[in-house]
Amino acid sequence: MSEYLLEMSGICKSFTGVKALDNVNFKVRPGKVMCLAGENGCGKSTLVKIISGVYTKDEGEVLFEGKKISKITPAEATKLGIQVIYQDLSIFPNLTVMENLAINSEITAGRALVNRKRWEATAKEALSKIGYNIDLYAKMGELSVADKQLVAICRALLFNAKLIIMDEPTTALTKREVDALFKTVRQLRDSGIAIMFISHKTEEIFEISDDVCIMRNGKNVYSGLTSDLTPQQFTFHMTGRELTADHFIPKNISKDPVLKVEHLTLKNKFEDINFELRKGEILGVTGLLGSGRTELALSLFGLEHPKEGKIILNGKEVHIGSPIQAQNLKIGYVPEDRLTEGLCLNQPIADNITLSSLKRLCKAFGLLKKQDLIDDGNIWKEKFSIATDDVRKFASTLSGGNQQKIVLSKWLSNDLDVLILNGPTVGVDVGAKQDIHALVHELANEGLAVIIISDDLSEVVVNCSRVIVMRDGKIVGELEENDITEEVILEIIR
Amino acid sequence: MKEKIKNYASKNGYTVMLLALMAVLLLFFTITKGGDLWHLGPWKGICMQFPEFGLMTLGVMFCFIIGKIDMSFVALGDFASILAVKYMEANVTEGMSNGQIAGVIGVAFLIVIVIAIIGGVINGVLITYLNVPPVMATIAMQLVWLGLSTALTQGYAVSGVPPLYSEIGHMMVFGFLPMPLLIFIIFFAISAFLLKYTVFGEQLYMMGTNEKACRFSAINTHAMVIKTFVLAALFSCFGCMIMVSTMNSAKADYGTSYVMRVILILVLAGVLPDGGVGKISNVLLSIVAVQIIATGVNMFPELNAYYASLIWGGLLLVVLVITAITNGGKKFSFKKKKTS
Repeated sequence: MSEYLLEMSGICKSFTGVKALDNVNFKVRPGKVMCLAGENGCGKSTLVKIISGVYTKDEGEVLFEGKKISKITPAEATKLGIQVIYQDLSIFPNLTVMENLAINSEITAGRALVNRKRWEATAKEALSKIGYNIDLYAKMGELSVADKQLVAICRALLFNAKLIIMDEPTTALTKREVDALFKTVRQLRDSGIAIMFISHKTEEIFEISDDVCIMRNGKNVYSGLTSDLTPQQFTFHMTGRELTADHFIPKNISKDPVLKVEHLTLKNKFEDINFELRKGEILGVTGLLGSGRTELALSLFGLEHPKEGKIILNGKEVHIGSPIQAQNLKIGYVPEDRLTEGLCLNQPIADNITLSSLKRLCKAFGLLKKQDLIDDGNIWKEKFSIATDDVRKFASTLSGGNQQKIVLSKWLSNDLDVLILNGPTVGVDVGAKQDIHALVHELANEGLAVIIISDDLSEVVVNCSRVIVMRDGKIVGELEENDITEEVILEIIR
Repeated sequence: MKEKIKNYASKNGYTVMLLALMAVLLLFFTITKGGDLWHLGPWKGICMQFPEFGLMTLGVMFCFIIGKIDMSFVALGDFASILAVKYMEANVTEGMSNGQIAGVIGVAFLIVIVIAIIGGVINGVLITYLNVPPVMATIAMQLVWLGLSTALTQGYAVSGVPPLYSEIGHMMVFGFLPMPLLIFIIFFAISAFLLKYTVFGEQLYMMGTNEKACRFSAINTHAMVIKTFVLAALFSCFGCMIMVSTMNSAKADYGTSYVMRVILILVLAGVLPDGGVGKISNVLLSIVAVQIIATGVNMFPELNAYYASLIWGGLLLVVLVITAITNGGKKFSFKKKKTS
């Protein structure tokens, strides 16, 4: 029997020519917490999906309990005792706790009829494993994220899990909930189960993990004991640079605010929001999921309609009823979810770039020349170095970073006063991320007022000259230049 | 040269398929029916018959391109044409000059246009503001229009179409071009122009690909949906007015089989109901191909009208299955999971 539960060496994986994983090696010890750390887009999720059998690796070797495993399928992984708790938790929100716990074993057993008593027994057994108490008949969708997570853990334990992988489990939790989760994690660890904990939050990793594996750009740059590292070294490994160096420093901020929000309130979403935004400034808005940050952005773009409060643009109170009005008021918005809100994937790149500026490009009577679209697309392709040889190709042929550049171009080709970016670099590789940040800095220095909404704190820290922190629909903190650090924001966020 | 043909074929799969289908059909009917097909008669019939459902097809094509569907268009067209015929019946009296009758016909057409706009707006509002799924909204409206027509006419055909109207309908423009065909050509030109050279056309395709992204790109998606359904209603009502001239009457259930035929034509032409795709030139080929089937089937007296539904339904099923199989692999491949 090997000392390690899971050993992976030389793992490679490419998606349509892009290397997502490049020669990754790491080991997981039984009864230990191993942390897989790295920034967004470094390949963490891809690695997890290879372990759980969702993706197949291109190259490399996997040993589980010392035995070589040539091909992992999801069913195989479950049989081996590998359980993944994904961020979305893969639960059935419309079913009860009991049904959620019992359904997998019922299906595996191939039973055709329902037996309430047996279901209850299964569910109780699962909960008892971590000594967790909850109403078995509560609807899953009505539970808090923390409770859902614990139910998901219980469900994983039903399969005699030897390795539990948790994909960024603390993202939507409060500080107290995180403590409770960590208690459960330690309990599991002490019972001999290996935990693989995925995170990019420094303090959590140091608190919970025994071993750490840091990934950057699809490679693992460090693996070893957590105690051998200092937080500074850790951050360096994760980002590949000393973080303090390239803060954005605004060069010419206008005297009068271009946008002023007073007492803005949207029922059940946010209340009494006040802030000012000047030209040349990058304002960060951060907060957990559900803190009202996205709804605030949508209100400024005419997709949500707050009943109370004022939006003042260039000194005049305005009513923004629709994105069309927002566009006329020179407000642009790059949405959170690129695939569903930002792009027409199966249409040409050029048509996507020009989608919001057709009015400008057309001649009398709404006449349009296709060549004008292509020319306009080529301008942005050059300016933004979008990686394609032909703008007539579909947007779906591009990588996430390049797709995001399309969405940005779409708004930048309009004449804007205010640009709102919601999660501008989610799922974007590091290179494109830097391109996008550099471009936003340049635009701000040319006099654009920018709002960046993000829960990627390192992004907020590097780019924003001022930060608003939201919690439960309220502004709970406002930070100026030198106070903006990840630690301070984390402190306020919870 | 070979390379060029191959390249063309891979890029224009539907065009090649439709041309091949037409060739096979013509060959089949030629073999089975000898030279019967190759007289002026059947071809004249083809040119007279397809414009009415051809117009409807062009209208519904716009709905398909934005990823929606209209099932109510024939019923709406029948209702509009019943009102138009009733109006003409009531207002054309003996001894009126042709000029006066033309005036009455003009007013009747205004009525048709107004009804079409009302019908289109109702469909559009139901779908875009009240978020009713298009199939259900338009099937409900189909029943409403059918019900109104039936109540209004007790289920009987409304005749009393002024002779002048039928005369215009059967006129040969320039001595060789049947009036319905001319009208179809005009509407086809308008449609092609809209799709290829206007902002509206560009937005139609983008809407069909991702409506939400269009809303986030400051496009008035509500207005787009309503405009599209009004367009479909107008085209369809004009199609029904052509039907009035050939049937010399209007009735609540004329042309009900066209609903499925129009869907068949569009799917066959590669204008898929998921939206965002489709070439109007292929729609034209597809209309002609389907008309050849209709004409050809008519040449077999043993296949009487009782088999019509079976034939069209079976064809639609086959075409749907073929497109689902051939597109299935591609269609869902773009739904990439986010990697982070």
